[in-house]
This record gives sequence, structure tokens and C-alpha cells, in this order.
Amino acid sequence: MDRTDATAATPARDSFPKEALRLSNAMRLTGRQLTGLALFAAAIILGVPPVWERLEPLDTGTDYRLPYALSHDYWLYARLAAAAADRYDTLLLGDSVVWGPYVRRGQTLSHYLNAQAGSERFANLGVDGMHPVALAGLVEHYAGGIAGRRVVLHCNPLWMSSPRLDLQGDGEFRFNHPALVPQFVPRIPGYRETASRRIGCVVERNVPFLQWAGHLQQAYFEQRSIPEWILEHPFANPLAAVTLALPPSDDRLHRRPVPWTEQGILPQDFAWVDVETSFQWAFFRRAMEMLRARGNRVFVLVGPFNEHLLTARGREGYARVRDGIASWLAAEGVEHAVPPALPSGLYADASHPLAEGYAELARRLGGLPFFQ
Amino acid sequence: MLFHTWAFLAFFAMVYPVHLVLRRTRFMNGWLLLASYVFYGAWNPLYLPLIAWTTVSSWLVVRLMENSLRRKAWVAAGVAANLAVLGFYKYGGFAVENLNALLAAAGVAARLPAPDVVLPVGISFFVFQALSYVVDAYRGDVAVERSLVRFAAFVALFPQLVAGPIERASRLLPQLQSPPRVTGAHVAEGLSLFLVGFFKKVALADALALYVDRVYAAPDRFQAPALALATAAFAWQIYFDFSGYTDMARGVARAMGFQLLLNFDNPYAAAGLGDFWNRWHVSLSSWFKDYVYIPLGGNRRGTARTYVNMALTMLLSGLWHGAAWTFVVWGAIHAAGRAATRDLERTSFYRERVPRLAKQLAVFAFVCFAWIFFRAQTLGDAWAVVSGIAAGGWGDPRFPLPVAALVGAVWAYQLLYAGESRLKRVLEWAPVRVGLAAFMIAYLLVVAQPGAKPFYYFQF
Repeated sequence: MDRTDATAATPARDSFPKEALRLSNAMRLTGRQLTGLALFAAAIILGVPPVWERLEPLDTGTDYRLPYALSHDYWLYARLAAAAADRYDTLLLGDSVVWGPYVRRGQTLSHYLNAQAGSERFANLGVDGMHPVALAGLVEHYAGGIAGRRVVLHCNPLWMSSPRLDLQGDGEFRFNHPALVPQFVPRIPGYRETASRRIGCVVERNVPFLQWAGHLQQAYFEQRSIPEWILEHPFANPLAAVTLALPPSDDRLHRRPVPWTEQGILPQDFAWVDVETSFQWAFFRRAMEMLRARGNRVFVLVGPFNEHLLTARGREGYARVRDGIASWLAAEGVEHAVPPALPSGLYADASHPLAEGYAELARRLGGLPFFQ
Repeated sequence: MLFHTWAFLAFFAMVYPVHLVLRRTRFMNGWLLLASYVFYGAWNPLYLPLIAWTTVSSWLVVRLMENSLRRKAWVAAGVAANLAVLGFYKYGGFAVENLNALLAAAGVAARLPAPDVVLPVGISFFVFQALSYVVDAYRGDVAVERSLVRFAAFVALFPQLVAGPIERASRLLPQLQSPPRVTGAHVAEGLSLFLVGFFKKVALADALALYVDRVYAAPDRFQAPALALATAAFAWQIYFDFSGYTDMARGVARAMGFQLLLNFDNPYAAAGLGDFWNRWHVSLSSWFKDYVYIPLGGNRRGTARTYVNMALTMLLSGLWHGAAWTFVVWGAIHAAGRAATRDLERTSFYRERVPRLAKQLAVFAFVCFAWIFFRAQTLGDAWAVVSGIAAGGWGDPRFPLPVAALVGAVWAYQLLYAGESRLKRVLEWAPVRVGLAAFMIAYLLVVAQPGAKPFYYFQF
């Protein structure tokens, strides 16, 4: 058959080219070569993350807090947690209330606790958007380095202020840190994701190399995949972007530090969920139990929630949640504090204090035995 | 379920060991069928009855045809049963839309309701595979398959179910009739193929798609350089995407002891359009040749009829890809190109005097022009791209240089490998092959981790 004119050739019953069974390129490898390549891949997978830690210094400094843009860089968080555990005796874990989006790094709760203690004892390990279900995943998979340390675990009741925030809502919705939540069991009603992505999340938690690859994208490629970064920087050398210099501690205000009363926010009811059936509360307990099982001395700080922002009905619902949490903690013998609400003008929204609010909270906590 | 996902890895990790155990027993085909239906059902289990219908109707028709005096009627029934499925699910909406446009043009107010169905993934592939069995059995080219389970496994075999290669019963059914041999060499070959396919899809096709999608989403906003580069990038994207899928499919099958067709043979190294169609989607072009072009008379009824047959075959091939006029135009462009160059390619001048590289570049340019109509969402968009390129003018295309370098290296590799260059020996040298494979692994691990971007040809 004329190879250049197959479609006009003499009729044939089976017109597959004779060479159809061969490979179209030179990539056929032997078993021995593939074994060598598997060893090469294993060396990369096992060797790169620890070597990278040595190459990329993590300088925590005073009042260090994770750069806001790296809130999903769990590999860096694990390093930060381990470094903080070496340097501080008490670590503050929680969501943005601990992190402090309305304040600079020198105005956070950990800062004022340190100032009060007269030494650097308290580390800010808060992460923006870290609701309790994700927090349990964070503690389980990325906070092994803080085993045995004193931990202040912040409980933000806001996550129980509606079925949706409690991840019980029907229908698909987006929420923070989906990679940290349980992927298969227990089932989260509003979490819709492909089986493949769920399996990928589970694998990533257990393979530091994959976490490191994510760190590379988060820290050096503007939180994009490398191909997407290349598309936005078509003439840049991607290797040059990897400077091995992590962004410094975050000292920016990420939201305007204005009291909630000046933002036009109206009093809210909130559809508080029942503590007994709350998904978030169940996972908060799980996080706490994991920490205690690792030898951590855990102190739970509940709120203080901005009760001034609630209607009378909303305050009733909140009181049920707050009291339910406090009762459980007391019954379980967990060190805890449920401070009364701060003055109204010290809140930026329902749960975040402003700088003065953090200072006031630190003063209130300072009298408790755990903080002395 | 996509090959380049964790879900497939988990699926295959469960299916493969059982297959190795059962392959010497009579349960092998049952297991393959079950695995294949789970694989297909992962997209939408509601479409499993569709593939079951295609399977049962084709098998039954051939069994009834076997001792019947009305063989022609049975083959017609078998072809109709398959084409009806394809027609309704794939072309129903298109037909109604055009009919409504005709009615509107004629001033008729009535409108036909469009069928509200989602195109079942891979329908064109498994229907064509079943169809070829019906026709081959009628012609006496393939033995009648008595086992429904084995035939169902042939139609649904998961490595090639959703995007080919479109296998023939005469090649694949015998492989299911005896225990497949699985050796270390087969597994190594399968892994090699899978690695190459994985790299093509995840590292190359998906990276190119980022640029192509941006430009083709709003072609009016880009000037000639970006439009031309996006079109060339699409040519590589669709090649890496589809041939990557095929490589992975062949790799998976090879590791299981089966051999699937080579569907792509360095098509952009083709030195003529006929050559291109011998290298691009080989299982489809040979299908159209055997079941459309030759039955139409092929080249046996004079020059004029040969050209008509070629044109019809190309138009149908275009329509096979999708129910849209853009695909019909794509087929028509290739038909015109083939008609214009068929005799030229046979001349000694073209064969001996025109440098091979010039021929390859000319073919690539022509194929790229046709791809504009294939990629564009509408004929209007396609025209915007064509006119934008023709208008010339300069605007920085901002094409990512690292991607250009990577694609350029792959093209050079293919041209060298497909040609007679001495460098071909270097490329075949074991340390070079292992080094390239190591680069691919490192690149995949660090740069281009798998997402879940579906294969381009799944929509067909």
C-alpha cells in the first residue's frame, strides 16, 4: 500500500497499517530501567522535603504569624508549628480570631499575652478560616510538632451560628479549607467533591512530598499552579521565582479596623445549632482530644462572642450554645474560660476583637492560673 | 473516571490483581465486564443501559443473522439499532435545531422541542465498535461470538471504552477468548506507555489548554500573533491530549495482557495529508475507510467518484466528532485539502524534490488551519480567528516561553525520531531514554500535578 495515499487505496477488509502494534516513540523502557526510575522517584519523594527545610530558612521572629496568603500552605504550617513549639511554651491555635485580620501582628492576643507575661511565651498559630472541622484535620495531620506543649485552643461559637456554618446545610456550598475536612466518613452534607479529589486530599495528608509541592506553589507562585503562573508571567524564568526566601511575618491589616457599630451592621438573630448535634462542636472536641492524647496541656478559650450584635432571641440561642460548651468542658475537666463579652466598641464584627479588644482579653486571661 | 486521577489509581489497584488471578479462569470476562461497567458508571450510571442496549442488540442481531436467509435485513436492523442510539443522543439536538432554523426561515412559527439529554461519554466510540462487529459478521470477516459476556467485555473493555482506540472484533475478541499472557516485559511496556501518556496529558496538553482557552474564549480581543499561536498550540494540545489518552489506554491494556492499536504515529511528522490521516486517529480513519469509503466504491469507480467518496467520508468523519457545523466545515476543509493534494503527493517532484521538512511544515500549517474550525465554539468564532490572523498586525501574544520550549523540544524529538537522522540512534540510546523518562517523572512530580481536566475527545 502506498503509505501516503491510504484513503484512496485498493479496498481491503482490514486497513490497519502493518506497523500499528509498535510504539510511536522511543520511550519503551525495560523492567530494570523502570526499577531505577522508581528508585529515582522515591528519592525525590522522600528526599526533597527534608532537604528543602534546610535550604529554606523559616525565621519566626517576634509576634510571627503565618502570611495571610499562605493560609493553605499546610506544609509550612507544620514547620511553623514545630518551630513555635521549640521557641514558645504556649501555643494559640484557632481561626482568624487568634490570627487577627483587623490588627497588625503586634496587636494580636498572643502579643498582648506576651507583653503581660514580660517574655515571649505565647505563639500565634491561628489560621484564617480554620473552622473546627478543618482544625481537627490540621491538628491531626500537620501539628504533630507541638506534641507535649501547652496549647490554648480557641473555640469560636460563630461556627455554630447557622446550619450552614456548622456544615449541616443542604445543597452544595463552599467552605474554607476543604482539604482538611473528612473526605469520606463522616459525610459532610454540603461538601460536594469528586472521589478523585477526595482521595487526592487523603493521599496529600500522608505524603509530605505532595504537601511540599503545594508549598512551592503557595509560597513562590502566587498560590497558583506552576503552569498557571507561567501563563501570567510568560517570559519569566520559573526557577528564578523560587528564591528560597519565605514571605516575612504578616504585619498588614487585612480588614479595616472599624468597630462594628460604625459599619452599619444590624443586630442579628442567627440560627444557632444545637450543641448536642453540632458538627463543628463534635470536631472541636475531636481536636482537643487529639491534643490531649499527644500529651498537650489544653486550655479552651470560648469566645468572647460579640453578644452586643445579637437580638434578644439571638442572645438566647447563643447562651444555649455557650452554656452547653462550658458544661461539657467542665464535666470533662478541661481547663477553660468563657469570658463575658468585651465592650461593644472593641469588636470589629461578630467574633473579631479590635486591637484594644485583644488587649482587654489578655488582661482578663492574665489572672487565670494557666496564663501565669 | 479519568486515567490521570487518584480515583482511577484506586480503581485499577483493585481491578488489576483480581484480573491477574482470574485471567486463566472462565470468570475473566465477567470480571472485566463488571470492572468496565463500574468504570463507565462512575460518570453516570444512568447511561449503563445504553451501552447494554448497544451490546445486546448487536450480539443478538448477529446470532439471528447466523443461520438466517434474511441476512441483509438483520444487518440493517443491527446497523439501525446502533445508529438510532447515536442519532438520538448525539445528533437529535443538532437536527432539531437546524430543522427549527429552516422552519423559521420558511416563516413557519412552529418549533420542535429539542431532546433534553446529556451526551453520554464515549458513545461514538462504543457504538462504532459494536457496529463494526455487526458489519464484519455479515461480511463473514469475523467469527460469530457465542458468549454474550465476552462480547459485552469486548464492547466495554475499560481501557478503550470512552475514547478508543476503536478496536475491531477480529483483533480484540480473540484476545478475550484465551487467557492473556502477562509477563514482566508486558508490564514494563505498559508502564512506559502510561508514563508517556500521562506526561503528554498533564504536563503538555493541560498547560497548552490554559493559553488556548483564554484566546479562543474571546478571539475578538486578540491580534494575529496570539490567534496564530493559540491555533498552533491547540494543534499540539489536542494531539497530546488524545494521543496521551491512547498511550495510557494502551499501557493499561498492555499491563493486563491485551494489545490495543497504535492510534497515533507522530502525525505532525507527516509529509502529506494522506500520510497525516495514516498517522492521526488511525483506528477512526481506518474505520471510515473500511465501513464508509470502500462500501461507497472507494477508488474503483473512476477519478470523479473517488473524489466524491473521499469528500463524503471526510464530511462524515467531521460530523462524527460533534453535532455542529464547525465539525462539518473541519471535515470539508480536509476533504478539499485531500482532493487538492492527492495527485500532487504522487508526483516524483513532490516525493523527491521538495524537502521533507518543508512538506512537514506545510502539512502542519494546513492541519492547523482546519483545527480553527474544530476548536471554535461557533462558525462566527472560527471566522473571527481566521480574519484576525489574515488581518495581520502586531500585538504581543504573551505565549509562555517555557511551554513553547517544551513543545518545541517534543516536536524536534518527533521529527528526528520519525526521520532518518543519525540523531535517532542517540534518542534510542538507553541512557537518553532513561534520562528523558526521569525528566518526565521529576516534571510531573514537581510542576504539573494531575488535576481532573477531562480529555478533549471525551465530548465526542
